[in-house]
Amino acid sequence: MGYLDIQRIHKKFGDKTILHDLSFQLEKHKTLSVLGKSGCGKTTLLKIMAGLLPPDGGDIFLADQNITLVEPQLRGAVYLYQQPLLFPHLNVHENIAFGLKIRHLPATQIKEETQSMLHELGLDGLQHRMPEALSGGQKQRVAFGRALIIKPNLLLLDEPFGALDIETRVVMQTLFRKIAAEHQITSVFVTHDLKEAVLMGDHIALMDNGQLVVYPSLQAFIDDERTGMQNEIKFWKLIK
Amino acid sequence: MRKAILTVLSLLFLMPIGVLILLSVAESWRFPMLLPQAITFDYWKDFFRSSGNMNHSIGLSLLLAVTVAGAVTMAGFFTSKLVQKQENKRFLLQLAYFPYSFSPVIYAFCVQFLFLRLGLSGTFAGVWIAQFLLAFPFAVLLFSSHWTPVLFDMEQMVATLGGNRWQAFREVLFPMSKSILMLAFFQTFLISWFDYGLVSVIGVGKIQTLTVRTYQFVGESNVYFAAIASLLIIWPPLMLWWVNRKFIFV
Repeated sequence: MGYLDIQRIHKKFGDKTILHDLSFQLEKHKTLSVLGKSGCGKTTLLKIMAGLLPPDGGDIFLADQNITLVEPQLRGAVYLYQQPLLFPHLNVHENIAFGLKIRHLPATQIKEETQSMLHELGLDGLQHRMPEALSGGQKQRVAFGRALIIKPNLLLLDEPFGALDIETRVVMQTLFRKIAAEHQITSVFVTHDLKEAVLMGDHIALMDNGQLVVYPSLQAFIDDERTGMQNEIKFWKLIK
Repeated sequence: MRKAILTVLSLLFLMPIGVLILLSVAESWRFPMLLPQAITFDYWKDFFRSSGNMNHSIGLSLLLAVTVAGAVTMAGFFTSKLVQKQENKRFLLQLAYFPYSFSPVIYAFCVQFLFLRLGLSGTFAGVWIAQFLLAFPFAVLLFSSHWTPVLFDMEQMVATLGGNRWQAFREVLFPMSKSILMLAFFQTFLISWFDYGLVSVIGVGKIQTLTVRTYQFVGESNVYFAAIASLLIIWPPLMLWWVNRKFIFV
């Protein structure tokens, strides 16, 4: 059994089956990239893992605990949206400290940990800024900081860099890899970008027809025509 | 030009209030005099001393308006959130327009029989419930555009960060909704404060709010007391307008 063990998850909206007996496992401190077309059910899968949507069937195990019926606030699974969703009435420091504040930790501890996180994310000097005064990349850094500071058991990322320009996106991808390694994060990273899926994941999976195929190796991922990797490689060879 | 138009509009708005103030302190003011011949504060003294427990009416109006507005605002806020999550939300919102398809007096006559049977007619509770029922759909409609997908996502974000529903409301939803909550409170306060039809019909003369008393003075042709009562009626709305301008829609 993996650290994250998804067993035969089933989900329907009306007559349409979105997830069909979907199962996979993920080891601790690893990132699984999930690739798939828009509307294939990637977000539904993440929301079910986060506890924001109930599955119609199946079980979710996290660290050997069945969390299928556990309330989202007790799962320790933070869901990061494509939009940073910073709380507009709180400044950068207060946004990052949010998770610690609602846990009623001592003020000195909150201050220390938040300062440390600000430094780690390269946000020194921005602690008093309000969200509307931040760039897209800075906002996403704050969103990461807000999620990481509570040391989540599982990080669920729903195309977090989808709204960023290419340059910022590359910077954020590098930053995420660094932070994921340093904080030993276990995460599921959803994207529809082939390159990003390869770059971000220790493992790569493809969501198709309500099922998830987790590839044993990068070569297996490339070999599967459904991923589109072969067309991508052909294209770049042609350009060359 | 803009300044001149604004000045004229301000004067037009302030003139009736000025006339009420003059009328409330005019010892004698006969046609064709432009201003009162003498000023006196005796009417104000008599108003609170001898016109039949006016303090009680003012207190009753304030209690009714504040509690109705508070309850309606909170109930409307959470109900509109629930409505937004329903598949048939459009139909439910259309239903909310129903009480406004006829005047409050007609509405009061429609519910009067039920209130009589329930023993609520002529009671504070009866008037309170009737005003709540009238103002509640208004609050639901007002909040309906506030519940955007982003706000729901924010609430879910708090949940995955470890916050319970109360923390999500206190720390995120409430601060983000402060302006519209205040607006809803003010609007529903005014609905209750100025209500005459429901109080008259459901209150059957036993619930003597300030508005009801003002109409009584007008009916009795007691222009001086009517002027004082009118000034007292417009005082809270003016205060709310000032608070709105100063602290909310800055």
